[in-house]
Amino acid sequence: MATVAMMARPQRWDAPFSPDMTDADIEDVLRQPAFSEIDAEKFPEHTPLTEILRNDTRIMPYQSGDIIVRSGDYGNSAFLVLDGKVRVVIAPELPRDLLGRQSVHKKGFLEALGQLWTNRRVPEVRDVRRYDRTALRGGRDQASSVVFLQDVPAVLDRRETALLKGGELFGELAALGRVPRTATVFAETDARLLEIRWQGLRDIRRYGESFRRRVDERYRENALKVALRETPEFGELDEAALQEISVNVLFETHGTFDWHISYQKLRGAGQEAHEPVIARQGDYPDGVLMVRAGFARVSVKLGNGERTLTYLGVGDSFAMSELYDSWAQGAVQPLRASLTAIGYVDLIRVPAPVLEKYVFPTIALRPRAPVEAAATRTLADDALLEWAVSERFINGTQAMLIDLDRCVRCDDCVRACSATHGGNPRFVRHGRTFDHWMIANACMHCADPVCMIGCPTGAIHRSEQGGMVVINDDTCIGCGTCANSCPYNNIRLVEIRDETGNILLDRDTQRPINKATKCDLCISNPGGPACVRACPHDALRRVAFHDDAVFRGSEP
Amino acid sequence: MSEVRAGHLIAWVALGALFAILLVHMRMAEANLGHASLLSGYLLYALLVALACFNVRKRLAMVPLGRASIWTAAHVFGGMFGIALYWLHTRSLWPSGLYEQGLAAIVYVVTATGVLGYVIQRVVPRRLTQTGVEVIYERIPDEIARLREEAERVVVECTRELQSDTLARYYFETFAWYFERPRFVASHLFGSQHGLHWVRQQRLTVSRYLEPRELEYLDALTELGYTKTRVDVHYSLQSAMKKWLLLHVPLSAALLGMATWHLLLVHVYAL
Repeated sequence: MATVAMMARPQRWDAPFSPDMTDADIEDVLRQPAFSEIDAEKFPEHTPLTEILRNDTRIMPYQSGDIIVRSGDYGNSAFLVLDGKVRVVIAPELPRDLLGRQSVHKKGFLEALGQLWTNRRVPEVRDVRRYDRTALRGGRDQASSVVFLQDVPAVLDRRETALLKGGELFGELAALGRVPRTATVFAETDARLLEIRWQGLRDIRRYGESFRRRVDERYRENALKVALRETPEFGELDEAALQEISVNVLFETHGTFDWHISYQKLRGAGQEAHEPVIARQGDYPDGVLMVRAGFARVSVKLGNGERTLTYLGVGDSFAMSELYDSWAQGAVQPLRASLTAIGYVDLIRVPAPVLEKYVFPTIALRPRAPVEAAATRTLADDALLEWAVSERFINGTQAMLIDLDRCVRCDDCVRACSATHGGNPRFVRHGRTFDHWMIANACMHCADPVCMIGCPTGAIHRSEQGGMVVINDDTCIGCGTCANSCPYNNIRLVEIRDETGNILLDRDTQRPINKATKCDLCISNPGGPACVRACPHDALRRVAFHDDAVFRGSEP
Repeated sequence: MSEVRAGHLIAWVALGALFAILLVHMRMAEANLGHASLLSGYLLYALLVALACFNVRKRLAMVPLGRASIWTAAHVFGGMFGIALYWLHTRSLWPSGLYEQGLAAIVYVVTATGVLGYVIQRVVPRRLTQTGVEVIYERIPDEIARLREEAERVVVECTRELQSDTLARYYFETFAWYFERPRFVASHLFGSQHGLHWVRQQRLTVSRYLEPRELEYLDALTELGYTKTRVDVHYSLQSAMKKWLLLHVPLSAALLGMATWHLLLVHVYAL
């Protein structure tokens, strides 16, 4: 007979952001202007405002000079200044080394060749003296480790900055929109900030009308027009039209911001991840959906499943052709395909009346729907696309694609990687396969780099040249946040050694010092990725999955 | 025509033209009572050194010395041209002197191992893909150990759950041997289905003695056997892809050494 065991059902707030939020703290926060205007009665019983503040926020103390957020970072939190002074760096930007970023030194031919004899017999040897020169404060956990500016007055003298005082909110657009932070913010004096994680931010925005108005208004002012101007449909419109459109658009978020956590679990269990439906085939569209961040799948019903026609990324739109046909023919056309969120997607909905007034009259050619493009393709033609979308490899901009029909398994790629990275390769020639294609376990330099969320020191960042995701070894504290976040298991923690080859141990805990490592596309070596150059049969390539050739069965 | 095919065509035409020029040059040199073989000999030696540089390039992966695939193509074309150049140089398929015969033998063996390697590298990857599994060569012993443990777990569970040791006894008489290490290595090399047939045959042999619930365990065991067969195919074919180099590279080094000695002898005694 089957037996059962009892446990408490896991709840949303089982693991609060911080266990230290007290009633007094919450009352203090509720007195802040950003929250005092919110009508707490509008919040549902299961998600009261006070509980959101108790569980989804934490109070963070910063010392003078501490960097709170860095320009270019991905973050999942917004900040409210409780007391103290905080500065936003406007121009010029702080040098990358002050931000804890890596200044890439590109090796010359001879220096690169020198690795032949400078590489040690043991891997992961570091010159540990350089860690002493890094301005890091705090411990090895996420919450207490920050990079700080050593000379705040000099920064203030030489740069234009804006002062943020008590009650001011920042960082919410990057946290909600999953876009990089646009400016660096540091503590000018000792300061206390309320950090609101994205889950709480999303709910406060959803139920707190004044808060939502405030956040949406900031987005409309700062980023919306720029985003619209970059699209082909809206790019030609004049300022007045754009202004009216920007006033009328709606903002939507679907899926889960930290989709990678549930995705990893489901993937481990061999299950398909759930994709929330945004628009269903056969429904009538009320506006065009434009992707601001994340990815969405366009599919049609086929048999007992859904056939993927294409996927949408930043800047792509959905339902334009149906709305255009409705306008041109004078009869409402239903959606020919469904749209679902792949993990997380942030959308702008442009209402149909606005499109009919400003956009459609300017369109010379009828927009083509993905379903029409798919009419000439067979299921087999799209099988690779279907696989790449379900495995979420579409996130990759530099995925390592190996043609197994050409690969002779010689591991020259692995040896080349090892030779250029101090004797330890930065990838594993193993991974998910489909037909004769393999996506190896190498960093894909994702369009949506979830690994960057939560790095306490900003060690993992996008490089200035090329935008690839790289790790600054000097400021990496080996906390493993990035490795745990990577949905594809492409980041590895390694134990490092000193120049004599000894494993380095932490003085306090006697445990090895770890550093996160991953493919950096040989950023410091001449000639690009060594793995690609080393393949004797052109079996290995780095590909961006938005390139149609990868999906159409042609040789990528 | 694809870019690669166009490149190959250009290479063939260029090498053909070079061969024709050399042939004319040698005829003219012979007509003038000169050393007709000197140029072809030096070209052949330079070609041998260039072909050997491919191995050096592999060790210098950290510097941009061009794509290895271009080096590979050049190595293949150079090797084919080398044998033509050798015939042009010696004017025979089998020279008369003892040392020269040794040299000729090693030229032919190096060329043959090179051609063999080329064929293996063109054929084997597709066969590996068709197995439906992908295993890193160095991990094959671990993978076999994992399959063996899983198979033993199935057998132990069957015995414990059903209080019958028929399957367990049969496992230790037959399947245990199969799960011990790679089997039918040579058969897999030539595309034989011997491994699959063996597993199927064991299943047929024992199934008549098992009750329906035991058959479920046998099915699980058979499935593990089929997976093991695929891993064996990987072992066999990946071994071939690695081990042909153990012939080709040392023999190439020997050829280079013998050719150098030949060059010295020619300069000391023949010129």
